[in-house]
Amino acid sequence: MTSFCTTTAARPAPEPSVVLADCRPLGIYVHVPFCSSTCDFCAFYQETPARGDFDRYLDGVERELELAAIDEPVATVFWGGGTPGLLPPSALRRLGELLRARLPSPPAEWTVEMTPSSVKEEKLAALREIGVTRISLGAQSFQPRLLEALGRLHPRERIFEAVDKIRRAGFASLNLDLIFSIPGQSLDEWRADLDEATALGPDHLSTYCLTFEEDTALYVKLSQGRVSMDMEKEVSFLREAECRLAAAGYRQYEISNYARPGAECAHNLNTWGMHRWIGIGPAAASQDRGWRGANPAGLDLWLDKLAAGERAGEDRVLLTPDLLAADSLVFGLRMNAGVEVGRVAARFGVLFPDDLERRLREWEGDDLLERDGDRIKLTAGGRLVADRLGAELLEILG
Amino acid sequence: MDLKHIRNFCIIAHVDHGKTTLSDRLLEHTATVTQRELKAQHLDSMDLERERGITIKCHPVSMIYRDKEGEKYFLNLIDTPGHVDFSYEVSRSLAACEGALLLIDASQGVEAQTVANAQLAFNQNLKVIPVINKIDLPSANLEMVTRQLEDILAIPAEEAILASGKSGIGIDEIFEAVAHRLPSPRLADYPATRALVFDCNFDTYKGVICYVRVFSGTIRVGQHMLMMSDKVKMEVKEVGFFSPAPVKTHELGPGRVGYVVTNIKSVADIKIGDTITGADKPAAEMLPGYKEVRPMVFSGIYPIDTSDYEKLKASLSRLRLNDASLIYQSESSVALGFGFRCGFLGLLHMEIVQERIRREYDVDIILTYPSVIYRVVQAGQGSIEIDNPVHMPDPSHIDEILEPTIRAIIHTPVDSVGDVLSLIMDKRGICEHTETLDETRLMLRCVLPLNEILVDFYDRLKSITHGYGSMDYELAEYQPSDLVKLDILVNSEPVDAFSSIVHRSKAEHKGRALCAKLAEIIPQQLFKIPVQAAVGGKVVARETISALRKDVTAKCYGGDITRKRKLLEKQKEGKKRMKQVGRVSIPQEAFVQVLRAQ
Repeated sequence: MTSFCTTTAARPAPEPSVVLADCRPLGIYVHVPFCSSTCDFCAFYQETPARGDFDRYLDGVERELELAAIDEPVATVFWGGGTPGLLPPSALRRLGELLRARLPSPPAEWTVEMTPSSVKEEKLAALREIGVTRISLGAQSFQPRLLEALGRLHPRERIFEAVDKIRRAGFASLNLDLIFSIPGQSLDEWRADLDEATALGPDHLSTYCLTFEEDTALYVKLSQGRVSMDMEKEVSFLREAECRLAAAGYRQYEISNYARPGAECAHNLNTWGMHRWIGIGPAAASQDRGWRGANPAGLDLWLDKLAAGERAGEDRVLLTPDLLAADSLVFGLRMNAGVEVGRVAARFGVLFPDDLERRLREWEGDDLLERDGDRIKLTAGGRLVADRLGAELLEILG
Repeated sequence: MDLKHIRNFCIIAHVDHGKTTLSDRLLEHTATVTQRELKAQHLDSMDLERERGITIKCHPVSMIYRDKEGEKYFLNLIDTPGHVDFSYEVSRSLAACEGALLLIDASQGVEAQTVANAQLAFNQNLKVIPVINKIDLPSANLEMVTRQLEDILAIPAEEAILASGKSGIGIDEIFEAVAHRLPSPRLADYPATRALVFDCNFDTYKGVICYVRVFSGTIRVGQHMLMMSDKVKMEVKEVGFFSPAPVKTHELGPGRVGYVVTNIKSVADIKIGDTITGADKPAAEMLPGYKEVRPMVFSGIYPIDTSDYEKLKASLSRLRLNDASLIYQSESSVALGFGFRCGFLGLLHMEIVQERIRREYDVDIILTYPSVIYRVVQAGQGSIEIDNPVHMPDPSHIDEILEPTIRAIIHTPVDSVGDVLSLIMDKRGICEHTETLDETRLMLRCVLPLNEILVDFYDRLKSITHGYGSMDYELAEYQPSDLVKLDILVNSEPVDAFSSIVHRSKAEHKGRALCAKLAEIIPQQLFKIPVQAAVGGKVVARETISALRKDVTAKCYGGDITRKRKLLEKQKEGKKRMKQVGRVSIPQEAFVQVLRAQ
C-alpha cells in the first residue's frame, strides 16, 4: 500500500479529499495511444502502431517534457491509454527514464494501465525497475460471452495469469477494471464477476457502467436498435456492486471506484480535488499554470504542435476561481467523502450565492444529500443522479 | 353620374361555392382587369386569404358595364368576408349595397352559411339575385338546388341564373340582372352628407384608408368631416375609387363607393359601421345598424422565447394598425412569463392573428386556452365580466355564473344526424328545431354554449359528417350555467396557464386528461411530482411523475473533466429553457403540447 502524501501518515484512515485540500500535489498523466485492436465500447483516442511509431512517440514525449519544464516534486504518475502495456520492454524503460530524468524525486504512486494479454514478465520487470508502484489491469469481465460482446480479445484465463505475474513481480498495488450493464448481461453474471474479482484480492476495483459513447461500435449498435439501455437494470447493477464490494471489505470512495482503506488512487483524487496535473502525449489533458487544455488527438498532429513549441492547446479554458470552486463541488460530490463547501469557498476566495444553500437544503429534503457541518456528501440515491445534480450546481454557480 | 346608373351589390355564398372565381370573371368581363393582370383570386390580396381560400378583408371594386341597349352603368362590387367571425363586417358590407348575388354551388346545394347570409341580406332589405354556380360540373343537381331555393329560402326558382364562374356561362345574364333587377342607390335625398364606413385599411404612407359608401351629399378633398359615433373631426386628404387599383378623384357623390383618406393615423380610431358626415352641416341621425364590435374569444399570447417579448409587442401593435377588432393588453403568467391577453372576434380571427405573428413577424408564440367572457354574479357585489380563468373569484363569493351562447344552423346528411345530435348533447347544446332540406339532408337549429364550440366542435362536425356537414352561427343571449374553475397543480403549485373554466360535469374528465398528458410530457426530476386537477380546492384527478432514477456517468478522470463540464453545461442550458413552477422545471415544449392537445 502506498501513501500518496506525507501528511497522511499521522492520521488514522483519513478521508482522502480532506488530505488533498491540505497539500498541493502535482500529477503527471502520460497518454500512450497505441492499441492492438479497438474495443467496441472504447472512445479514447488510440491507434494501431505502425513501424517506427513507438520511437516517434517517445521522441515526442521527450520534447514535451522539455516544454513542460517540471520544476517541483511530483506526487503521482499515471500512464493510461490506449494500452501502455503494449509498448515493448525497451520502450517502457525509455519512457520511464525520460520521466525520471525530469522529476526532482520519484513519485509515491506510479500507475500503469495494462490489458491481460499485454502482461509479460519482462515488461513487469522493466516497470518495477523504473519505479512503477501500481498496475491497473483491464479485466472488464470474467464471462467469455461478455468479453466477446465487448470486443475484448483475451480469454478469461489470461486475467488469472496476468494477476499472478503482477503479484510475483512484487507491485504494491493492483487495480482491476470491471464493466457492467453489458447488453445481455444478467444480474447473476455481474455478481459472478464481482466475486471472481474480489477473490483475486486486488486492493482497488473500478467498476464502470457501460456507456454508449459516440464513435464506438456499441453506439452504432445502440442507434441501430441492436442493443438497448435499461435504466432499472443499471441501477440494480450499481447497487449490487456497492453491497457486494462493501461486504468484501472494499470501500467505495467515488462513483466508480472502490479500495481497501488507504489504497485509493491518489492520482485520481488529485484530479477530483481540482488540483494540478500535467498531461503528456497525444490527447492528454492538463490543468496547470492557470489553464485547462488538451493535446491534439493524433500522433502526427501532436508532434507538429510540439515542433512548434506548443502543448495543451486544444479546448483551452482559463482557470478562474469561480470555475475551480464550482468544479470542486461538482466533482467533489462524486466522491463518497463529499466536499467541504466553506473550505472550497475559502480556498478559491469566492462567495457562493444564497441559492446554493437553498438548493442543498432541498436536496437534503429529497434524501439526495447529507450534511455534516460544512461537509456535503451524496446519499446512495444522490450518487445515482450525480450528473443532474452537477448540472444544477453549474446552473446556480454560473 | 346620375343615380339611375349606379348599382351597388355584393356576392354572398357559402365557403367554396365559387365567389372569388365569379368576382374575377366579372372584373375580366368589364375589362376592369385584363386576363394577364388577373392572378387567380384578384380581390383577396393577403397571402393567408389566398392560402385558406377565404376573404378576410373586404375590397370594393368599381366596374363600368354597358347593357344590351348600350346604357352605361357604374357597378360597385363590394366583397364580403366569408366567415362567421366577421359577420358584423358582412352585415356592414351588405348595408352598403342595394342588392346581393346569392351564389349556390349546383352540386353542394344550400348550405348553412347560404341560409345565414341570405337571412342577413333579407334583413337588410336587399334585392337578392340567386345564382346557381358551377352548373357545368357533372355532379350538378339543378332540380335539388331549385327546390331548396324555394323550400328553404323562399326564393322563386325562376329568378335563378344558371352560371359557371370558371367557364363564363351566365356572366352576361348576371350583369343584366344587376343593371335591371337591382334598385338604384337609396337614401340619396337625405338633407345632409352621410357615408357609411364599411371597412378600413392601413397604408404606411397615407395612414388610414376608409372604404365608404356615400348615401347622400358629396365628399370632397379639403372638407372637414365628422365621425358620428364619437364626434371625431377630420380633414379629407384624398378620395377615390378602386378599379381595382385606387384611382384618385375630386369627389365622391351620392350612391358612390370608394375610399377616403383623412388625417386620422390609426385604424383604432375608425369604427366600422360608423357614419361620416359634414362637420359644418352634420346629419341629425346616423345611418342605421351601427354597433360597437366586441371581441368574443380571448387568449393569452406569449413568446416562447421570453426575450421575444418586445418583438411580440411590436408585431401586435402593427397588426392592430390594420385590424381594429384585435385588442390586447399586457399580462403576465407565472408559468409563461410576460405576454398579452388578446381579444378576437372568433376562432378564425384568433388563428389568423396567430399565424400572422408567426409568419410576418417571425415570433414563435404559444397561446393559452381560448376563453369567452363570463358574467360572474357575486354575492352582494353585482356582476363582473371575466375573460381569464385567473381572475375568477373564490367560489364562495359567487352567486351565479352566466355564459354566452350561440344560435347555430347546422346542415347534416340524414345518416349522420344521430352522431351530430350526440355531439351537440356532448357540447351541452339543445336542438330546438329540425327541418328536412331534401331526401338526404337535414337542417338543425340549436343553441350551444360558445365556450364549447371554441376548440374542436367544427372539426368534429366535419369529421362525423364525412365533410358534408356545415354550420353557421350568431351570438345569442347569456345563460346561467354550472361552471367551475379547473386548476392544475404541479407539485402542489397551481400552473395558471393550464387553468380553465369548464362545466362542472366535465371537470373531472378534462382534469384526468390534462393530468395524464402532463405526466407523460414533464420529464422526470430529482423528486416525485404529483400532478393534480382541482376544482375549488378539491382534487378531482391525480397522476404522479416518479423521481429520476439514474443520471450519472461512470468515468471522470483528468481528460474527462472538460468533456464532462461541457455535458453538464449542455444540461444546464436545456434547463434554462424550461419554465420554473415551484421546484419543477417544465419544458416550454410541454406547454405547447398540452395547450395544443386541447
